[in-house]
This record gives sequence, C-alpha cells and structure tokens, in this order.
Amino acid sequence: MSATVLERLERLPRRNLTVLALRGISTLVPGGWQNQTSPDELISDVLGSDDPELVLQVRARADQLSRARHEGYRRALSLYDAVNRSQKAAGGLRVLANVAGALPLVKRLAVLTPASQTLQAVDLSLKVAAEMLAFTQVNGLPGDSFAAFTDSLNEYAGEARVRMAALVCFDALLPLGDNALHRLDGLLGQVSNRDLHQLPSYAGMASLLPGRGDAAHMGFLRRGVDHWLGWADGFVGDLGLNGQRAVRALETTIGPWHGGMEQLAMFLDAFTDTYSHTGVQAVARRLVERAAAEI
Amino acid sequence: MSRNLRWGIGLLLIAGLLLGAFLFLPFRSWLPGGTVADLPNREVVNGTNFNRLFPKPQPGEQIVFTQEKRGFSQARLKQGTDLRALLSISDVASAPASRNKFMHSEERLQSWPLVDQGSQASALLVADRFQVKVIGQGNGLDVQQRHELLSAFDLTALAALSPQAQAPAIAPGREKALAPGKASPLRLPFPGLGRKAPQVQPSQARVPQPAVLPAYPRLIRATAALEPAA
Repeated sequence: MSATVLERLERLPRRNLTVLALRGISTLVPGGWQNQTSPDELISDVLGSDDPELVLQVRARADQLSRARHEGYRRALSLYDAVNRSQKAAGGLRVLANVAGALPLVKRLAVLTPASQTLQAVDLSLKVAAEMLAFTQVNGLPGDSFAAFTDSLNEYAGEARVRMAALVCFDALLPLGDNALHRLDGLLGQVSNRDLHQLPSYAGMASLLPGRGDAAHMGFLRRGVDHWLGWADGFVGDLGLNGQRAVRALETTIGPWHGGMEQLAMFLDAFTDTYSHTGVQAVARRLVERAAAEI
Repeated sequence: MSRNLRWGIGLLLIAGLLLGAFLFLPFRSWLPGGTVADLPNREVVNGTNFNRLFPKPQPGEQIVFTQEKRGFSQARLKQGTDLRALLSISDVASAPASRNKFMHSEERLQSWPLVDQGSQASALLVADRFQVKVIGQGNGLDVQQRHELLSAFDLTALAALSPQAQAPAIAPGREKALAPGKASPLRLPFPGLGRKAPQVQPSQARVPQPAVLPAYPRLIRATAALEPAA
C-alpha cells in the first residue's frame, strides 16, 4: 500500500530549494503562501476548531477516502508525480546538454537533445493537462452546468494562486520570454510526432492522457492549453508578472543569480519539485474539506 | 520425468501469469477497495442530485460548487471575494459512524436532529440518510447564522431523495419485473465479496442494537445466568 494523501503531506520538505523557490515567487502574489505540511494544522484550519477528537475523526475519514481508488485523490497525486518525474528528466537532460556543450569531446551530445523551446512548450502543456485531469479526479465535475464548472475551475485556480504563479513563471515566462503565452500555440503547432516521442516528459504521461495515439494526445494538450491561456493571460496581467520580476522575486530567497533566465528555468526544473509540492498541498486541502464535511 | 517437469513448470508459469493479469491489469477496478467503505456505488446517492438543493445565494453572495462525487457535494459560500462557509450534503451510507453523534442530540431543526461540532461546524441529519453541514470559514459564523444557512437548504426535497422514501413505490414492482435468475445481479468476479456489501445498508445500520445483539445469544444468556449468582 502506498502512502495516503495526508502522509504524503506530512513528508513534504519544510525547508529546501523547492520551498525557497516557492517562497520567493509568493512575494509576487497578494495573500502570500504558507508551507502547510502538518495534517493536524490543516484540519483544524478547515474545521475552525482544534478539538483533538474531531481532528482525529477527520484524519481517519480522510485516510479512508484517500485509500478508495475510485475517489481519485491518490490518482491525482500520481498524475503530479508523473509530471514531476518527466520535468526532472527533461531538466536533467538539458543541464547535461548545457554542460556537454562546453566540453569539446562530447559536444555532439548537445545536438541530440530536442530544441529547448518546443520541449519547454510541451512540458508546460503537459503540466496544464495534468492540472485539468487532476482537477476532475479530485473535484469531480461540480455544478449543474458548464458555467458552474468554469466557476469551480476559476475558484480552484484562485485558491492555488501561488501554484499557478509558479507554473506561469517557471515554465512559461522564464524559459520562453515575456510573450510566452502568445507564442505557446505556435510552438505547440511545430511539434511533430517524432519530436513528441523524443521527449521524456511525453513517454511518462502518454498513458494518462485521454484518447488513443499521438494526434489525439496532441489535440487534447492544445485544447487544454487554449482553455488555460484565457485564464492565465488575465492572471499575468492582474499581477503584472514578467520574467524580470520573477527573477528578482526568486533572488530574495535563493540568492543572486548571474546566468540567463533560461538557465534559471532549467536549473529550477532539474532541482526543484514545486509542481508536485504544491499539488500535494492542494489535494490535501480538498480532501480535508470533504472529510470534515462527512464526519 | 523431465518432460513432466517441463510441463509442470510451464503450467505453473501460465497460471502465475494469469493470476498476475487478473490481479493487476484491467480487473483491478472490480476488486474491493475501490469505493469508500467497499460500498457499491449504486447504493450511494449521486452528488449530482444534491446540487439543486443548496441554498439560493442572497444578494452580494455567491455559491461556487467545488466538489461533486458519489454521495457528496460541496459548495463554497462567498461574499465578494471572502470565503464565508463550506456547505455540503453527504450520503451517510458510506460513513455510518457519522450518524452516532446525532443519537443524543436534543436540538431539532424542521424536526431533523441538529448537532454543533466544535466552534464552527453545524450538522443536520435528514431522513436518517443525508448529512447537511455548514462549516464557517474565514472570519467565522455564529451558531445562529449557521442554523439559518442549514434551514435554507431544500430539506424536504432532500428527504424525498432517501431510498426509504422511494422504496414503497418502486420496490414491489421491481422485484416482480426481474427474471428469477437476474434477481441479484453478479457484480464482482468473486461472489463472496460482492455479497458482503449490503451488510452496511442504512436501514440496518440505523438501529444497531437489535441487529448486533441476536448475533451473540449464547453470550447474553451466559451473562444473564451469571448475574443472579453474583
């Protein structure tokens, strides 16, 4: 038996590069961010009371819910894990290519890795797709109409503001430049089936995407990104996010950075798990909200 | 001999592969443990039915649905951008223990038992089947406000969703309509596992005392016999 959602929450790091990066980016978002890793604190926060017996009951119910496969809470986490693994693989590959590019003997390796920008675009679209799949796993299809569902999506995105800010900054603005969101569709259009198969990120996620075959998967990714772009554009405009501000925000916590933005993005990809870290926290909160209502 | 051995190993391998495939591949979703409390999904009322029973938002307020699953639906009550409360309706069929807290409650709201949990949560048990709960968030709600919110739910329509309320109209006709062989459709590859589930039926769980005691008649008789002696 693998760990329940709350156990995963408990095991999240309290202070490491991931937490520092998130803390840095949270200075751009009003409301800030708290690294919530204690299930008991989360439960008493949702319940508005720290009666130990109630907390214990909620926790038992939450564990029961997360053990039930059809409820989807753990499936959402496995989606985040798959994305995280692929992000690390892609990041590692690019770090390797960067290093190898500087060494005369292995220079040829650098040529083998796919073009950085398309790789990044697909990586971002995979994350957006995983976000939507995880949303339906965790929340079902709430509401009676499409409008209610969209409200619910926006509510979720608003709640996970820091998570979304991290996604936008680390995976779009830093590696692809400030007009990343407008270029994204074009970049995805350039991805051929052969490119797709070269990506470690795609291999890890292919079985989790709906539809059969690469064309169907690509269609799903592009539609998902399309939907998300509408929201993300407003979000970036509201908060005034751009690459420069993101770098400055990150420098407040992880120290001065002298390289380019693209290198920073690559470094973050290879050495942090911001996406699955905040993912576990988001799923845990929804799970506890349900458990508190059911005890 | 060696030939027999080869056949044996071959058969063993095939049996192992079949068993592995049966346990891990597409049949996994049929195995127990997929649903909460191992209760078949069809015995839990779907959360879609609850959505229209939530209170209508007052001017300036907004109701945003956040989760909808089998036996559960949750929404947030917001005023502007502030979160005020979590509103939810759940089917207690998958959480029989949550009924216990209502047993000793004296308070009633529209004749249904009412319980306050901690300082921010109030719960109502409707038709002995559905739990309606309001949990104050943010700045919090006082008891009065929570109870008002609870009564704003469409409780009569909710009570009508309960299978007991619908049973007399449907059950007799349905039993006759089914062919003898199809009276209890097989749900799982293991018949023994499939039949375990109905034990947790709400009608039985509601009155635990008579259901549990007759299971140990000998024990009761034994203690009864002991008492006068002591």
